[in-house]
Amino acid sequence: MPKFLVRTLAVFILATSFAFAQNGRVAVMTPYLASATTRIMVDEVETALQDLGYTVDVIDTAGDLAALDARIQDVILQDVDAIVLSANPELVPAAVEAAGAAGIPMFGLDAGSLQGLTVDVTSNNYAMAAQTATYLVDAIEGEGRVLMLVHPPYAPVQKRGAIARAIFDNTPDIEVMDEVFIEVPGPLENARNAVEAVLTANPEPGSIAGIWAAWDEPALGALQAIESLGRGDEGIVIVGLDAIGPAREAIVGDGAFRATVAQDFVGIARTVAGVVDEALQGDDVARRTIYVPAALLTRDDLR
Amino acid sequence: MIRRFGTLLGLIAIIATFSVLRPDTFMTVPNWLNITQQVSILAVVAFASTIVMVTGAFDLSVGTMASLAGMIAAAAMQADLGIPLALALALTAAAVGGAFNGFLVAYLRIVPFVATLGTLTMFGGFALLVSDGSTIYGRAIPAAFGGFGRGGIPLGTIDGRAVLLPNLTLVAAGVLIVTWLLLEHTGYGRRLYAIGGNRVAARLAGVRTRLALLGAFVASGVGAGIGGLMLASRLASANPTQGDGLMLNAIAAVFLGVTLSQEGEPRVLGTLVGVTILGVLANGLTQLQIDTYVQQVLTGVIVVGAVAVGSLRRREA
Amino acid sequence: MPLRHHPETSLPPAARLHVRRASKRYGEERALDEAHLEVAAGEIHALVGENGAGKSTLIRLLAGVETPDMFDAALDGDVLDPSSPADAHAMGLRFVHQELNVVPALSVAENLFLGRPYPRHALGLIAWRRLHREARGVLERLGVTHIEPSTPMYELRPGDAMLVALARAFVTSDAHATPPRVYVFDEPTASLSRRETELLFRVIRELKMQNVSVLYVSHRMDEILELTDRITVLRDGSTVATVDTATTTRDALIHAMTGRTWQAFREPEPGEEGTANVTLHVQGLRNAHLEDVSLDLMAGEITVLTGLAGSGRSELLRALMGADPLEAGRVTLAGRTLIDAPRQRIDPHAAWRAGVAYVPEERRSEALWMSGDVRSNVLLPHLQRVTRFGMARRSLERREAAQWTERVDLRSRGLHQVVRELSGGNQQKVVFARALAASPRVLLLDEPTRGVDVGAKNEMYDLIRDAAARGTAILAVTSDLEEVFTLADRVLVLARGRLVLDARAATLDRAAILSASFDEGAVAA
Repeated sequence: MPKFLVRTLAVFILATSFAFAQNGRVAVMTPYLASATTRIMVDEVETALQDLGYTVDVIDTAGDLAALDARIQDVILQDVDAIVLSANPELVPAAVEAAGAAGIPMFGLDAGSLQGLTVDVTSNNYAMAAQTATYLVDAIEGEGRVLMLVHPPYAPVQKRGAIARAIFDNTPDIEVMDEVFIEVPGPLENARNAVEAVLTANPEPGSIAGIWAAWDEPALGALQAIESLGRGDEGIVIVGLDAIGPAREAIVGDGAFRATVAQDFVGIARTVAGVVDEALQGDDVARRTIYVPAALLTRDDLR
Repeated sequence: MIRRFGTLLGLIAIIATFSVLRPDTFMTVPNWLNITQQVSILAVVAFASTIVMVTGAFDLSVGTMASLAGMIAAAAMQADLGIPLALALALTAAAVGGAFNGFLVAYLRIVPFVATLGTLTMFGGFALLVSDGSTIYGRAIPAAFGGFGRGGIPLGTIDGRAVLLPNLTLVAAGVLIVTWLLLEHTGYGRRLYAIGGNRVAARLAGVRTRLALLGAFVASGVGAGIGGLMLASRLASANPTQGDGLMLNAIAAVFLGVTLSQEGEPRVLGTLVGVTILGVLANGLTQLQIDTYVQQVLTGVIVVGAVAVGSLRRREA
Repeated sequence: MPLRHHPETSLPPAARLHVRRASKRYGEERALDEAHLEVAAGEIHALVGENGAGKSTLIRLLAGVETPDMFDAALDGDVLDPSSPADAHAMGLRFVHQELNVVPALSVAENLFLGRPYPRHALGLIAWRRLHREARGVLERLGVTHIEPSTPMYELRPGDAMLVALARAFVTSDAHATPPRVYVFDEPTASLSRRETELLFRVIRELKMQNVSVLYVSHRMDEILELTDRITVLRDGSTVATVDTATTTRDALIHAMTGRTWQAFREPEPGEEGTANVTLHVQGLRNAHLEDVSLDLMAGEITVLTGLAGSGRSELLRALMGADPLEAGRVTLAGRTLIDAPRQRIDPHAAWRAGVAYVPEERRSEALWMSGDVRSNVLLPHLQRVTRFGMARRSLERREAAQWTERVDLRSRGLHQVVRELSGGNQQKVVFARALAASPRVLLLDEPTRGVDVGAKNEMYDLIRDAAARGTAILAVTSDLEEVFTLADRVLVLARGRLVLDARAATLDRAAILSASFDEGAVAA
């Protein structure tokens, strides 16, 4: 077995050594590589950094935060030049602290928190929620009763709900009927049941003007509820957020689902790569969160 | 002889390989302290699993039990119940869960694999229930709790950096000593091995086999609970699935350790070797920048290889 | 009335199966010593003998399951030398064993054709309907019409399961194979009701009509006298007689099985009677294997319990240990109530603590932890004695283990030697050391000398007598009549769960014990 091991290792070391470039080494760490959006961002960061002449190690711990913590410790001891973290740094505080102590800069790739990081590049949840809420207000001409589908325990989604609420409250002729808490897992199913109940309790056509969902899955659930109760022709407007595939398809159709927001994942990744490069080239990089603008997608945009 | 200690030789060969290939970073005091800290949580869960596996049973629920215990503690801290009460609640739940496993296996005589597969799902469900599926982190976790998993006893400085003996390493060492004393130096440990050797004979020789099995499962549950609390402390957060992956690695570590014992029975010091192999592999392969997925394959190959060599040895014996 | 042995004159001319000489040793033990046997064509021939007389060994040699030391036999004049079960089958021998060897999850029809080619469709798929039809045909030949071939085996009552196992011997594999020439039945009626037994006898008689031979092994004298044409008696591995059934009697057979010379009776030791006090008082034990068993064990007395296999002898010990559930019964140990079923039960743990020590029947599966060392095996029931606050004290353990292994004169490389590496006799000594280390008030021994050589056997006897001399009440189960008389002060005999004999050993002879063992009058099915 040791002989086999040595041979196997030798092959990998050769393979990795060839790629050793002069600019430095960057470790990209995530527990979420199985998620499609994380994959897009990580691949883009890897390519962009390699184009800039860096060696990039991508390390995925398949959902295991303890392993993420351990692997960050490992790359710190190897003295990598920078770490790109695609996870909330507050979930691996010990490792982030250790990187700081070792003087290795960490950069957030849609991390959602700046704790211990030099820079976090992400989408602005407040701005995105403002985009969908404003769209909804405009679509119902600033008048009517609105149902909100929210999930406050998850911080980014909580931010979205807060800003949407503020916008509705600031519109005199809009009344927020309720903020319904959507259980996870199973948001689509749960949202459908919840909306069906609300629709049943409000049988009058026009008694509900709009449904604002904090992300796309509850929006899809709301759409199913409206259609299954045969109330698709009342002009209820649904908006979601995140622009997942099924949401895009639903918006293209003729139903009540009308708009969502697409985060610019490629833009986020390229921005991170640029910031890492600046920092490693010796430029003074200010500690801050960089928001990459997101695009509102309506039926017209998608068609 | 070579076969008996093949696994140990394998570990030495692995360490030697990494030392040669990464002389500056692998064989250093900070890295080894780092490895002990990285494996500490797995070690605690694996030591506790050893207690059950000594009796010839399995506990597949240790991973989700770890998640559940961490989640209960975090939820209690979020509700401002204070750290001591939070820890007590979590460990009580772990003991009760373990006792439930023991009841299913020892008294209802459900095959351990099936019984703990069921409770694996149950405990995972409870963890989701307690947390509502979300992660508890940030200010909800008291600094003292999160600080423990990060801290340690200062040993001095190397190259200007402070070197700590991690608290989690100390906890794991404590659990190791307790488990070792329990299995090797108490009458209860002797009875557990007798049950693993021949349950019928043990019963006829006056061993209260059901009670002993129940106790083993309680120990396993509590060990998993401690592991879950260590994990929550280290991450200063708790999410409902963060300990789930511990189970397979814990069982792999015990099996690696079994290859070192004369009669194929689990020994806690063997489990320590197994845990060390898994930890050193993960650390060293990362240092060699080997793709994480290839790492998984290699780790699997090494576990299967060691166990295969061990079973060949026993067949010849 | 001793039997005369006339092999030449009692032989019909056409011998179907002729075993001239068969020998087989297991280690020191001579299981078969030049045994011989002749079965004529179309004859129903009984094979009888005590436990250990060599009946099973002879059958195993015929079946090709064991390799003989010597086997000179012929079947219809051809050399018979089966080297495997398939071989024996091909030569036309069929066996119906006591153990059913059925697969409970499969259907009756599948069990009937197990290991034979199933009927198939053109595509190679199993032709289920034809399989069931053929299975039904086989069962009907036996006169069995109430068992549906598609029924899963586990749903059948034991008697019906036995009938299926019987029927399997009648499945013809294919047209080219040798037709069955000899059927061997090994205790086929052990689990059959009277009606099922009659069904079986009808089948056997029908076989006889077809000029097929039957070798019938049984303990049940009434069945043998009713069914068979001739009887061969084995004793200590040798053939002692072959007689015509019509001219013999039950008593004559028992005489032949037990031998001509009677064991000398033990003289009762002076003062033995009357002064003994009751240590263990057992009243009305009843469970699945025991019917209202009552007995007393006296301090310092060796009571030997015997009976046929399945008579409940091992089960009585297990019940006293709390290893098997009891429906009813009271047990008091030195005046203290130990068991008062069903209200008060015990488990083996409580039995040991109360001073009852136990040597189980099966050394490997019930007594020893084979991968454990000598020390751990000896001390297993006594761990609380060598621990303080739960922590083991090594020096005390060593001292205790050494003391008791020396007492039984264990030959091992040390207290840390793994038990698996010891010889059978030394393994049994480990089990004895464990029991004696309890300094028991009652010592329960189940076949204490099974599978140990003669020397070790005598050492065991000395240990048992020594324990008795120290005031222990001993209840020893044995199926070896020799051992009964070697050990016993008092003899108990169980038959089908009932205590049928309880007497001083000095008042008994072997025939009395055998006669009681075979007594089935009380339990007509």
